Amino acid sequence: MVNLTIDGRAIQAKKGCTILDAAREHGIYIPTLCYHQALKPIGACRICVVEVKPGPPRPLPACATYVAEGQEVVTSSPKLDAIRLELMKLVLINHALDCPICDKGGECELQDLTHALGVSVVDLEAVKLPPHKDYVSELIERHPDRCVTCGRCVRICRDRVGALAINFTLRGYFTELASGGLPLDCEFCGSCIDICPVGALINKVFKYRARAWEVTRTEMVCPFCGGGCSYELWTKNDRPLRVVNYDTALLCGRGRFGFPVVESPDRLKTPLIRENGGFREASWDEALDQVAAKFKEITEAAGSAAIYGVGSPRATNEANYLFQKFFRTGLGTHQLDNPGRYTYVQALKGLAAVFGFPQVSGVEKVAKPPLPFHSPLTTTEEAKASGFPLVLGKLKDLPKADVALVVGADVTPELPPLGWALNTALERDTFHLVVANNRKTKFDRRAHLSLRYKPGSERLLIAGIIKSLLTAQPEWAPTVIAGGFDEFKENINKVNLKDVAKKTGVPEALIKETAARLAQAQAPAIIFGSELMGQDKGLENTLALADLFLLVGRPGAPGSALYPVAEKNNTRGVCEVGVMPEFLPGFVPLEGAEPGPTLPEMLDLLEKGDPKAPQALYLLGGDLLRQLPNRSRVEKLLKKVPFMVVQDAFLTDTAKLAQVILPVAVHAEQEGTFISTDGSLGLLPRALPVNGVRPDWQIISQIGSKMGFAMSYASPKQIFAELALGMPRWAGMAPKNGGAAFTAEVTGQFVPFETDISLPGRRPFTLLVGKSLQHSGSFTTHEPCGTLTITNRARLGLNPADAQNLGLAEGDFAKVTSSQGEISVPVTLTPELPEGLVFLPEHFSQPAAQRLTLNSNLVRVTIQKG
Amino acid sequence: MKATTLEIDDILERYPKQPQHLISLLQDVQAEYKYISPEHLALICDHVGVPLTQAWAVATFYKSFSLEPRGEHEIKVCLGTTCHLKGGGRLVEACERDLAVARGHTTEDLRFTLDTVKCVGACALAPVVMIDEDYLGAASIPSLQKRLEKL
Repeated sequence: MVNLTIDGRAIQAKKGCTILDAAREHGIYIPTLCYHQALKPIGACRICVVEVKPGPPRPLPACATYVAEGQEVVTSSPKLDAIRLELMKLVLINHALDCPICDKGGECELQDLTHALGVSVVDLEAVKLPPHKDYVSELIERHPDRCVTCGRCVRICRDRVGALAINFTLRGYFTELASGGLPLDCEFCGSCIDICPVGALINKVFKYRARAWEVTRTEMVCPFCGGGCSYELWTKNDRPLRVVNYDTALLCGRGRFGFPVVESPDRLKTPLIRENGGFREASWDEALDQVAAKFKEITEAAGSAAIYGVGSPRATNEANYLFQKFFRTGLGTHQLDNPGRYTYVQALKGLAAVFGFPQVSGVEKVAKPPLPFHSPLTTTEEAKASGFPLVLGKLKDLPKADVALVVGADVTPELPPLGWALNTALERDTFHLVVANNRKTKFDRRAHLSLRYKPGSERLLIAGIIKSLLTAQPEWAPTVIAGGFDEFKENINKVNLKDVAKKTGVPEALIKETAARLAQAQAPAIIFGSELMGQDKGLENTLALADLFLLVGRPGAPGSALYPVAEKNNTRGVCEVGVMPEFLPGFVPLEGAEPGPTLPEMLDLLEKGDPKAPQALYLLGGDLLRQLPNRSRVEKLLKKVPFMVVQDAFLTDTAKLAQVILPVAVHAEQEGTFISTDGSLGLLPRALPVNGVRPDWQIISQIGSKMGFAMSYASPKQIFAELALGMPRWAGMAPKNGGAAFTAEVTGQFVPFETDISLPGRRPFTLLVGKSLQHSGSFTTHEPCGTLTITNRARLGLNPADAQNLGLAEGDFAKVTSSQGEISVPVTLTPELPEGLVFLPEHFSQPAAQRLTLNSNLVRVTIQKG
Repeated sequence: MKATTLEIDDILERYPKQPQHLISLLQDVQAEYKYISPEHLALICDHVGVPLTQAWAVATFYKSFSLEPRGEHEIKVCLGTTCHLKGGGRLVEACERDLAVARGHTTEDLRFTLDTVKCVGACALAPVVMIDEDYLGAASIPSLQKRLEKL
């Protein structure tokens, strides 16, 4: 700690913090303009000048001057006030005085400063500059005449988002914010809007809808990906208007512009019951009675195992917990699964095989009743934990890693916050980024090593890296205590590095260098995404990475961990609360009972017409037809199910096959919690009216009660309390908090993995079905989401050379044929894709990418014009 | 102006595909074509792997780069302290009138570009006008007109 005085007050500050940080911590006001807590200070505006003794005989910027022992700081004096006043006059010299129509009015830092510093007249004059306003760009409007050239937007775009889409043009007095003389063509995350201290950047979705002081603000978790960001939702007259993250200003485009999905006109408003080939609107009582009666009838006729449930990575922990309780306690079966089975669950199974299931000890109940959505458990001093959740990293620790290996993930579209964390890490010179992907992704530009492998060859590449490591250092011992190493080594010895280089397309030298980097790393992180998990061999891919982590990972070092991307807001939560046949809540393996079939096994049973095949399906949201590979097969099989209930907010293609559709609350219409990709708890409070729909948990509870199960709850708080009581690993968990610390005991077992990478078929192109930056599942593809103005439909990404050979130009329609089906889709020329690889986003129902796939997100296709 | 100009590809090939060569490339293109067209700027960005906005910021920051076509001859009228006192302002106005072009712009026939500069370091010759690489010292409106007619 450092002792100093500020305005005569003796204070203690942490070493390495700035005078501004120290002053703010002790409630001393220093005016600022270009400073933002989420960015590195640049000391450009000089409004925060203070006098420092001992120091140079001139005022210093408080935001960029570090505290020192014995320092005497004066924050306000006639001299400083005069400097600030003069600076403010210079800032205001050509400022557009349009506060009454400026969207920032009421929350403008310049307005506040003008009041605080008492600037009443600007007695300076300068040439008026023509304001080059930009009304053309999508979603973001620019008013350079309101700009104070603080550079915050430029810095957040460059340092955090990594898009480098806006910058200053010209210089001196003429400096203006610009985007290269063209309308914005960026990620459209809008972070620049919220970091702007003035109204130079305006959110078009929010423009003119309300004033900052008229709105009700509710802090909540963002439900558009597994990142677990939190934001404030602004509502007025029960309508959502805007979301803002005041902490870091960072949100992605889906988070910032996706919330209008709540007001989509295609939302279902009342329950629907199938009748005479169509649907008719029904009352809640009628619909719920019918579901309960039908479920009862089926269980009486065919046993309770005849009902199969599919949970949802969109729904809250509370809803999913009740859902599994409905099956496990109510019906007494384990006939349920979640659609993450095709991606994230594959990774979890692989990690569990290598690192074991979670074991927790030393947890006790807290003495007094916990606050709502706080775990009623706490850890004792001897609290210990083991198992795979301990090697899953936290995003805030990622920047502490020294090497990050990114495999099979286009980081930003998969999980925007992961991209921000990587950008933060990249600010450190000692950090090394290795990006391996089948195509050029955003982070390839900043990667120290960039590996381009052939689609689907991830596990062989990892085998090559391991082999190279063990060849270069034969005495290498795994850095994590693990069994089965000798056997594993024998297996790896069979791998031929030349062969790997040939089959994966990655030069041997690059493989060797990657291995060497990982071997030297003191805190290596391994990041992998759904591109790799979503293959039919996703489990094998994860095993390869988990084995690599046993070899080089240092779980004791902060940041050194595995980072599998949990794609949706609650992909991890739906697994943690036990919506899987083989795991009870908390990943407790089911013992003493036969687990039900997994989702793919259930579909197989339906295909075979097996007597064990379900007679009724209960789907908790999730458009299976859009998400699951081989759409036509899934469609055919779902049609075989005699009775299907779907809880969804929209009439999805899957819902159209149902007998009863129950409309649910989305976003802030419901209360509940999510578990983010890094395991922290996000709280969703209710901020909007439900308008006739019901939250998932309430519907499940009502159906359960009607069937005679003891499942009535007053609120999600009560469900959370019950749920968290049974989750020792959640001890100490509270909103925005990942829970108490355990003494970690990370051990593992090497598991051999398959290195065959053949992709069936002979068609010339490989299609990858993946994620688009602007969309999250199908949730953001409904009007009036702002995300649709950027990416309004599916386009087939195609290398320009391939396009030329096929005679296709941008926007032309291509006929894509696989062994499973055929679709017609406009092409977009994408130089980032290598020749022979084409890309289609998975989010849209027309054309449906999954019509082409077989059992993986990769499939061989033929492309023709037309 | 040279009779033939180099192909843009030939200029690009002079430098490796690394961001640090942005300014060198901008300079070479500027020297060859007298300005940097939007198409050339885009090609340079692709070559060195720098986002367009960054290159735009650099190109507009330095006065030696122009994003608009420049005239065959560049007239730079000095408006530094001495030249200003000696009537440099009147010289600019005369040029604007005679050439029918505003300062900072190029005549329609692409013959002349008129610019003002803040001191060329030849105060003893004030007021100074630079025409291409030549200094016209102790310039007056008639002497300037005469010089321009010669071109």
